[in-house]
Amino acid sequence: MRFSGILLMLLCALGSAAQTPAPDASAQEAAKQAKEKQEGRDPQADDGIPIDNDLVKQQCGACHRSDDKGRMSRISYRRTTPEGWQQTIKRMVALNGVELKPEDARAIVKYLSGRLGLAPEEARPGMFESERRMIEYKYAADADTERTCNRCHSFGRVLLQRRTKQEWELLVAMHRGYYPLTDFQAFRRMGPPQTQPGPDGRPPDNRHPMEKALAHLSGAFPMKTAEWAAWTAAQPSARLEGKWILSGNEAGKGPFFGEVTVRRNDSVAAGDEFLTEIRYTFARSGQTVSRSGKSILYAGFQWRGRSSAGGADELREVLLVERNRREMSGRWFSGAYDERGLDVRLVRAGSDVLITGVGREALKTGSEKLVIPVHGANFPGGLTPRDVDFGPGVTVNRVLEAKPGSFQAEVSVAANAVVGRRDLAVAGVVKESAVVVFDKIDGLKVRPQAGMARVGGVAFPKQFQQFEAFGFHNGPDGKPDTKDDLDLGVMDVQWSIEEFTATFGDNDKEFVGQIDAGGLFTPAIDGPNPKRNNNANNFGDVWVVATLPNGDRPLRARAHLLVTVPLYMKWDQPEVSK
Amino acid sequence: MKHLTSVNRKAARMERAVTADPDVVALQRPGGGPQGPHIPLGCSFVFSPGWEADSSGGTAGLCQPVERDLFDCHSGCFWPAQVPDQLNHAPNWTSKCANAQKDWRKIDLVFP
Repeated sequence: MRFSGILLMLLCALGSAAQTPAPDASAQEAAKQAKEKQEGRDPQADDGIPIDNDLVKQQCGACHRSDDKGRMSRISYRRTTPEGWQQTIKRMVALNGVELKPEDARAIVKYLSGRLGLAPEEARPGMFESERRMIEYKYAADADTERTCNRCHSFGRVLLQRRTKQEWELLVAMHRGYYPLTDFQAFRRMGPPQTQPGPDGRPPDNRHPMEKALAHLSGAFPMKTAEWAAWTAAQPSARLEGKWILSGNEAGKGPFFGEVTVRRNDSVAAGDEFLTEIRYTFARSGQTVSRSGKSILYAGFQWRGRSSAGGADELREVLLVERNRREMSGRWFSGAYDERGLDVRLVRAGSDVLITGVGREALKTGSEKLVIPVHGANFPGGLTPRDVDFGPGVTVNRVLEAKPGSFQAEVSVAANAVVGRRDLAVAGVVKESAVVVFDKIDGLKVRPQAGMARVGGVAFPKQFQQFEAFGFHNGPDGKPDTKDDLDLGVMDVQWSIEEFTATFGDNDKEFVGQIDAGGLFTPAIDGPNPKRNNNANNFGDVWVVATLPNGDRPLRARAHLLVTVPLYMKWDQPEVSK
Repeated sequence: MKHLTSVNRKAARMERAVTADPDVVALQRPGGGPQGPHIPLGCSFVFSPGWEADSSGGTAGLCQPVERDLFDCHSGCFWPAQVPDQLNHAPNWTSKCANAQKDWRKIDLVFP
């Protein structure tokens, strides 16, 4: 026993002798790193990007000191979207006493979004946030991080940030300082630490949620990435001038087709701002819209603009420009909660034939003289039925009103045509799955399946909700809700509201609002309602029901609608498109 | 209380309060036992019942009318993404309306 004790001491002495710094460089580096780690210094601390803009240095430099490499504290260690930078500047103005002229603020946002921005690959997953879409987003990579952040705000805000480890820590510290209750609501583990192993047999993870989130965020969204390095090296030009072919869809109004002419805004020397002339026609109603607008291109690919039709009906534009400079897509939107939106896609007008879509998608078997409007660009002159092909069972009889940007095909659909989707070919160019041949409508679906509106109209604005009913064919297997179901597009249905029984006798459907013939729900006014129990607001849960006459077999479908509370704050950065 | 005897009315009331059957409190846990702090219904400490939707996905469990509890959300900073916080962003948010249930038309929308 004594012998083994002596042996142990001897081994320890040898061990410590081996740990004394060796004169070689690698050991010195390891020791330095260990020391830095011990001192809590961030190994990513050198990942900051120098600021070479005088305005930023001058306006932000009083608090944000530059180091010997021109890197400013905090600012240089974070990358984000124009909206992200705008939000930060707003906070600096609101809470830290910064005084900025609007034009300086705009110049700073533009500089920072380019110098400390995101690469397209980094921005794309979070486009729904920039596009102000209300979607149910699931962050699959880490459930703990998602729960920690989305207790209060959308996870999109997180997806669009890149920071060094220390910057992520400081962001958490900012939340804890400004919103102390985040500790109890999300950041700290409540209850005693777990002592039993988890279901996987591993020891319990007793870290606080914010610690788990920090570990994940600093790895998943680091400051230094290959994508950003590649993008800053490539610096694609901002030349977007020219004619673009527009196609898109607006819920409730259907598909539209047109064109956008982009001109350089010559009053801006940098060449990254544009003037637009937009013209499009809704296929369903024939309504033509002319708009003119202005836009800014941030970081070489993030289009932020706004357009209006004769000074009214302003739409904000958020588009992602593809690196090939031939395509851009995104959302144009308006509404107090940005709830009205148009999904748009722009393709640069070239000399090739381009099919953007059709005005009628569902073709019933046995139809005669069915007119299908076809939209696109560069359709050849003298188009004949031989140049247009909708696949087997669909015969093109005539081509009408042929123009370079559109024509109408008059077709007959054979009574025994096989049910299914068809490609459309025009002069050798194919648009896949452009139309669908069907014999009957088997079912109806209302989208969105879960809608949300907010009461308003007195103190706060209303949030509207547009519903659409889609017809479905069960497909070859004859069963609903399977992969081979055929979507027949939007149907002309009758809309009504029915009670969703969550609380007995609350009679929500009498109070929440109205739905019009086009499926647009308008919520009731805000404020306590003396006619309801306990002066409750006009909140409620209802079913939105669509009914399609469909001959002797009426079809019905419904969606859940939540009519709920206003937001008393608006976290939005409309300034980036001004 | 074994070695103490109440000698005046106030002490007797305290004694009764300790020994009497406990009151029924909001969010009471079933099965008796010591109850946690009394949390008045309608004001939530954590993100329950929910802002737009309650835990069941509906509106039945929300604070109703919202104006009744709104200033609690504001002063305690319970809903920093939904209601302006008194701590930093909007210290004077309630100055125009002392009682939100009555003066709710005067509540401002805040752009943080």
